[in-house]
Amino acid sequence: MERSLGIIEAQGLFRQYGDVTAVDNVSLSVGKGELFGLLGPNGSGKTTMIKMLTGQIRPTGGSATVLGLDVEKDPIGVRERVGIIPEQETPPSFLTATEYLDFVGEVRHIEDVQKKADWWFDFLDFSDKRDVLCKDLSRGTRQKLMFTQAFLHKPVLALIDEPLINFDPIMQRKVKDYLAEYAKAGNTIFISTHILEIAEEICTGFAILHKGKLLHTGTVAELKRRDQHLDDFFLSLVQKDGHV
Amino acid sequence: MFKLFTNMMKEEWRIHSTIFGSLSFALFPVMIFGIAFMGSFLLPLFRAVIPGGDLSTIIHALFLLLGIMVGAFGLIGQEAMNRRFGQASLLAYSARSLPISVQEIFCTFVVKDTVYYFILWVLPFVGGFAIASPFIGIPLSLPALLLLTLTLAFLSGLSVVFFLSTVYAHSKPALGVILALILIAGAGLYLFAGINIALFFPPLMLFYSFSWVTLAFTCAVILILSAVAVLLFTSEYTDTTRRYSSAMAPLAERLSFFPYPPLAAKDLIDLNRSGSFIGQTIFSFLIPLGLLWFLLSVLTRLLPPGGVFLLFAILTGVIASTMYTWITAFDSYNSYTCLPVSVRALLTSKICSFTVLQLIPVSLIIVVSLLSNGVAYLLPALVLCLSVSFFSLAVTVWLTGLSPSVLVYDAKVLVTYLFVLGIALIVLIALAFVNPNYALVSVLLYLPGWLFVRESYVKWEDQDQPIF
Repeated sequence: MERSLGIIEAQGLFRQYGDVTAVDNVSLSVGKGELFGLLGPNGSGKTTMIKMLTGQIRPTGGSATVLGLDVEKDPIGVRERVGIIPEQETPPSFLTATEYLDFVGEVRHIEDVQKKADWWFDFLDFSDKRDVLCKDLSRGTRQKLMFTQAFLHKPVLALIDEPLINFDPIMQRKVKDYLAEYAKAGNTIFISTHILEIAEEICTGFAILHKGKLLHTGTVAELKRRDQHLDDFFLSLVQKDGHV
Repeated sequence: MFKLFTNMMKEEWRIHSTIFGSLSFALFPVMIFGIAFMGSFLLPLFRAVIPGGDLSTIIHALFLLLGIMVGAFGLIGQEAMNRRFGQASLLAYSARSLPISVQEIFCTFVVKDTVYYFILWVLPFVGGFAIASPFIGIPLSLPALLLLTLTLAFLSGLSVVFFLSTVYAHSKPALGVILALILIAGAGLYLFAGINIALFFPPLMLFYSFSWVTLAFTCAVILILSAVAVLLFTSEYTDTTRRYSSAMAPLAERLSFFPYPPLAAKDLIDLNRSGSFIGQTIFSFLIPLGLLWFLLSVLTRLLPPGGVFLLFAILTGVIASTMYTWITAFDSYNSYTCLPVSVRALLTSKICSFTVLQLIPVSLIIVVSLLSNGVAYLLPALVLCLSVSFFSLAVTVWLTGLSPSVLVYDAKVLVTYLFVLGIALIVLIALAFVNPNYALVSVLLYLPGWLFVRESYVKWEDQDQPIF
């Protein structure tokens, strides 16, 4: 049963890899229709956060619900309902792009998958690669494919790790517009990135993570009201926290 | 080149030790040493049953197989560079962006594999035997000779596979012709002249009768095969873009009786397009078993009627269980982390795909029964083969989950595997030798096998999957 709280609710999330603490007592809430950016330098724990929120790895401590589902107790339920684009795009090597989308369609029980896939092939401009093996695709095309698989079932929540990193400027524009429109339609987008321009341009809310700790949560509108740029704000925060 | 070599060695060690933990992996050669040391004290018992000559043939064959398997791992057909120089072998991969030729990288890679696995397998094995030798009345010259001949046996396997995989990369028909000629010559000599070609294996000839000429000949064979492989090595095919019409949807529909049709369809597509289905069947299944058959045939006079065939069926079952690595080799768990696919579903699907692949050992057992006049023992042989294969699979799944290839070098895992499987095999071999029909009792292995699988679901669902 879905709770009336936020789409994403994290309470004291904590994750250790051996002696290294990747995420340290992070609590945050993301509401419906938000385009939320999780920002932080390399190694700040952003990817670990996304992995915990999507049930890919278990938290060492704390708890989180996504769409009302406990990520630890029902990771498959969470993954059924959300769209995920991992940091490293990993479509299966020996399937073609079309076959991978067919595969995703079968696993997610998506009706009319070919028609939906065709729309994405056209939209992201990679129709000519549809019958090429994934291992032979360029990084950019693989990311287009991963983008497609995440949105093929029109999830109410998409979690995207570094969404634009392999796209050319034209494609970046297209994808940013799509994400903004998608969120405006009442869906929620959660992106993690260290490219602050993206966050400043399209995000509504944001959180800053540094060395696994949450330094700040807020909205881009607040910053604009204070006539402050996100990159200045970000740098001042992480430098104060000891980032060299 | 030496710098590249030392860094490749460090990298190989770090990959393994990162995966298993330094201690666990460091224990692996210690375990081999221990097994060889303790096994040496059983030699007088073995000698009472098996003549010393046959025993040394078996040991040399094992190291030949080891060389073949190490060589075959990652060096099959079109995936040679991708699998060995892919994301896991970062140094070799990045070295391609440096001003070093592909031949030089491959040559260094071959030398690295040779030295690395010599230290990991050959040296500890002979070391254990050498330390035990004075206690069992064996002169130290024998372990010294064994160190030489086992190394050469291992290198023979390695160089043969490097050579054949290079031929495969250039021309599949040429590989077919070479293999057919070898098989025809071997079978012809055995069937019509009664000559066991195993006895013409150069390292074995050297072991039985050392001479500098034989040593030079053995080294020359290895060097020529390796040199041809290095000189003809090509990575050009890795740049070709392959296109296919969509097979996923129709195949998933045809496999709708499977619990997870799209996962099964993906396995079959992976096997076919990676070249594994043919490559692994030849290099990891038919060639090792062909060699085993020739080696076991020397035991004919020592074993009860049908004994060799039933023993072969058991060993076929063990080797058939490694087909699980075929269907997991190309499957990174990363591919599934963005989808609602549970570890349980994946394991179940892999077991189903594995079941389909068991048609290969079944076919082989039927063919061997026809060729060796063993049709009378066909039923117990088939039951033995499949029971052992599924039981071994269940133990593998329980111990290694979805990563059987990489976890096999964890000493703790390997000891547990050998112990559990060893007990079952000893009982089955004894029963089969007493009366071939008693082998039918092997169906009972499905029960513990099922329990192992059930336990695996809980065990692997409960932990984060290793992502390599």
